Amino acid sequence: MADLLLELGVEEIPAPVVGMIRDQLRELFLARLVQEHIPTGGIECAATNRRLMIHALQVPEKTASKEETVLGPAKRIALDERGLPTVALKKFCEFQGVKLNDVVEIETPKGKYLGITKVGGGHDVAELLAKAIPALLAALTFPKTMVWNESRVPFIRPVKSILALFGNKPLDIEFAGVRSGNRCPGHLLLSDAFFEVNSFKDYFEGLGRNFIILNEEERKSKILAEIREIEEELECRVPCDQDMLDYFVYSNEYPVVFSGGFDEKYLALPTEIITAFMTHEKKLLAVYDSAGKLTRHFVGVANIPDENGKVSRGNEKVVQAAFEDAQFFWDQDRKQDFFALKNLLKNVMFQKELGTYFEKVERLAALVDFVINETHQDKMRSQLHKAAFHCKNDLLTQMVREFPSLQGIMGGLYLQAAGEDPVVWKAIYGHYKPRGQADEKLEDLGAGILSIADRMDNIAGFVGKGIKISSSKDPYGIRRDANAVIRILIDFRMPLDLAPLIRLAALNFAKNDVDLQQSCKTICELFSARLENYLKDTMKYRYDVVNAVMAQEAMAVYEKFLKARAVATLVDSGMAEPLAALHRRLKNICGNSERCHFSEGELKEKEEKILSDVFKEAKPRIDGLILKKDFTQAASEILEMKPIIDAFFEKILVMDKNPTLRKNRIALLQRIDELLAAVADFSLLVETKPGGKT
Amino acid sequence: MSVQNVILKLQEFWAERGCYIASGYDTEVGAGTMSPDTFFRVLGRKPWQVAFWQPSRRPDDGRYAQNPNRVQKHNQFQVILKPAPADGQLLFLDSLIYLGVDIRIHDIKFDDDNWASPSLGAWGVGWQVMCDGLEITQFTYFQQAGGIELNPNSLEITYGIERLAGFLDGKSSLYDLEWGNRVSYAQLKLEEERQFSIYNFEIADIDMLRSLFTQYQKEAEKLLDRSLYLPAYDYVLKCSHAFNILDARKAISVAERTALMGIMRNLAARIAQKYVQQTEGEDHG
Repeated sequence: MADLLLELGVEEIPAPVVGMIRDQLRELFLARLVQEHIPTGGIECAATNRRLMIHALQVPEKTASKEETVLGPAKRIALDERGLPTVALKKFCEFQGVKLNDVVEIETPKGKYLGITKVGGGHDVAELLAKAIPALLAALTFPKTMVWNESRVPFIRPVKSILALFGNKPLDIEFAGVRSGNRCPGHLLLSDAFFEVNSFKDYFEGLGRNFIILNEEERKSKILAEIREIEEELECRVPCDQDMLDYFVYSNEYPVVFSGGFDEKYLALPTEIITAFMTHEKKLLAVYDSAGKLTRHFVGVANIPDENGKVSRGNEKVVQAAFEDAQFFWDQDRKQDFFALKNLLKNVMFQKELGTYFEKVERLAALVDFVINETHQDKMRSQLHKAAFHCKNDLLTQMVREFPSLQGIMGGLYLQAAGEDPVVWKAIYGHYKPRGQADEKLEDLGAGILSIADRMDNIAGFVGKGIKISSSKDPYGIRRDANAVIRILIDFRMPLDLAPLIRLAALNFAKNDVDLQQSCKTICELFSARLENYLKDTMKYRYDVVNAVMAQEAMAVYEKFLKARAVATLVDSGMAEPLAALHRRLKNICGNSERCHFSEGELKEKEEKILSDVFKEAKPRIDGLILKKDFTQAASEILEMKPIIDAFFEKILVMDKNPTLRKNRIALLQRIDELLAAVADFSLLVETKPGGKT
Repeated sequence: MSVQNVILKLQEFWAERGCYIASGYDTEVGAGTMSPDTFFRVLGRKPWQVAFWQPSRRPDDGRYAQNPNRVQKHNQFQVILKPAPADGQLLFLDSLIYLGVDIRIHDIKFDDDNWASPSLGAWGVGWQVMCDGLEITQFTYFQQAGGIELNPNSLEITYGIERLAGFLDGKSSLYDLEWGNRVSYAQLKLEEERQFSIYNFEIADIDMLRSLFTQYQKEAEKLLDRSLYLPAYDYVLKCSHAFNILDARKAISVAERTALMGIMRNLAARIAQKYVQQTEGEDHG
């Protein structure tokens, strides 16, 4: 048994893809070991932006040898009547490279065969690995590759060194024009260019001595602990999201957290601009005081200890200059009339075949109108029209040209600064929200309405253009747009049926009626799928609960959400089980019948009369509850009728010989089924015990 | 360290490592990459090592002399190493040490930043080199120029001279720099920046520049038809500068941008092909 150590030294890999490459390498390596029948006692993988490392533990020096049988021709074909070898047998021996007297007789269920036994496996693992490693390095895939030397081998960045030790013996490997050797790259700044490695001990000691923290978790905890120290020292908060943390972890081999500050006068700039400049451009973290207010401090991560404050002071100067730039953009942009920019949108393409942004904003007003009507927000109409017409103007500002991530936000800020009506600027400010599923809570209704219009226009445009989306392909973010619309409808409790809005949006792009029908269908299916996904994955509702509410055709998103919540509550309170039983029973009987006419006059037996009376009395109340969207209460009131319905089933033969009586009874049950179905299809619930797993 | 000392030191350093020291090009360029000493020489098989100081114009970066870091005309120090050496990164760090940077106390990072010049049909893979958060150099392995795949690949190292001088001198504004021998940067550049910012952003005649663009384009085409690719390339550079001023004037729509870039890219590609055709024989000779 021996350990294998492979380290690939590479010039700086872009931080966002280091983890992905490490995972790929691990998987390819494991798959290759399985393929070559090489067992291990486990493997460890680690990566920095300058090296990829695999350490495989307890690898045997030879693969297990085993005897294997190779069947040749059947005995009756292999030997002629005189018992001499035929051409078939000779060919077999030739192919296997054996002599005739190596052949033995083998008994099989299909009869007697001739064949050979040979010893397989037992391969030299060092040799296998030396062959496998270049192959699996070549099999890595990257978002973008480059070539840099005569080998013309494409890779993410130039390969500098290869170290391959198998039990302290070097493996001879060549990849991308680089031969394996006994050296590893040191820390870019704190050590010599390379350090020599002739054993595992050399390697792991060498890393430590050369300021290289190979383990990702170790780097991460060092960073987080040092940020914590600064938080305590400054009595402040330094939020660090996953993307920034990953950036720090994968762009430093020896991360050290530092802090700095800038002139307070820049705090007069809008917070959004300050944070965008610091995080996106300068990769620094903003610092907030205990009240959540932005302070003049920042935090960054260097690749070396900042013992004499040089790193901190250098970054301070850079931040200062960046804010000067921000101030310049902010001042320049505000000099122009923001509303006048709309006409210039005629020069800005939205998407090829979908026209310019000018045309897009012209389309938005009609969609905004529709949502306003449906949600009874007439008092915002004129402001939201204005917002719709001008929501893309900021694409022409210098700030957004420099920082596309500030689109929408800047439009809002410029109008706020110009003293515009808050309804208008807030709608523009927030119309790109939510930016992701887990984004902060949405606050501005006007922004929500504008966002729905903008996103419906995106979806209808791309679908109309024939863009196909699949689980892996969504080049224009249509799925993200649909998710956002669903989030907005639910967060703002908008009782909106999407179908007519979808049609209205699709109308702008359809060439003819058939085209329109097709687009509407595709978009409706998209929304159904996204809503189902939202209810299951985000809200964590059970799949059968979701099925029970998705059964209905309507595209009323918020209502379906409330229904799912109601059914989930009923499941938890144990009421769903009797409801499911009731619904199944009703469906069994009414299932295939046409809708029948109901007449009180045709009621004969006591039990059916009672049921009819109780139903007549309860229905308006339950309808009212459904209208108020109190689905839990509606369902429980239906459930209150259950004893009466049970008594009906017990005493009454629905399938009476008399067709009039039969149809009238079915008609009564159909009315109850319809009432229940107006909440959900309870018959689709599979297991209804509280907390039951399905 | 003064600006001129940065230039002198870099010239010394790279001359000692086999580069020939060229002059910056004498037509307006946006970067050293656009100099014929880069654009043509990275094509074909012939090895090439060159270093030169290139004043570079980016009208859109003008700040009326009000910004400590941005100017419409800055100075680059351009190095082309063809083929790209295996130890390019170390050579670069050595050059910083030669300039007097103590790399053990400054946070120098190779931060992912691929470079592309759509108007020249050129792109490369590489980094911006950050020093304590300040971008001081672009470090790029060229992949394509004039639409032609490059083999061998060149390594391009582009130092920002003002950035380096400011860093070495601990100055937070480039107007505080000394150019050399008691001549200050402000003395040389302040008025230039102010006037050109006004011109580029406010005064430049849009109609004239559009018509110049077309005339330059026609001249380049005519020259190309006679295989005079060197003057043809000059006219592409003039197109590019006219385009940049139009852009600073916000006179170019997105659709037009694509069209004008396409014109320049096509010309650059044809020029590159002519160059390769003509020099192929020499390469093998």
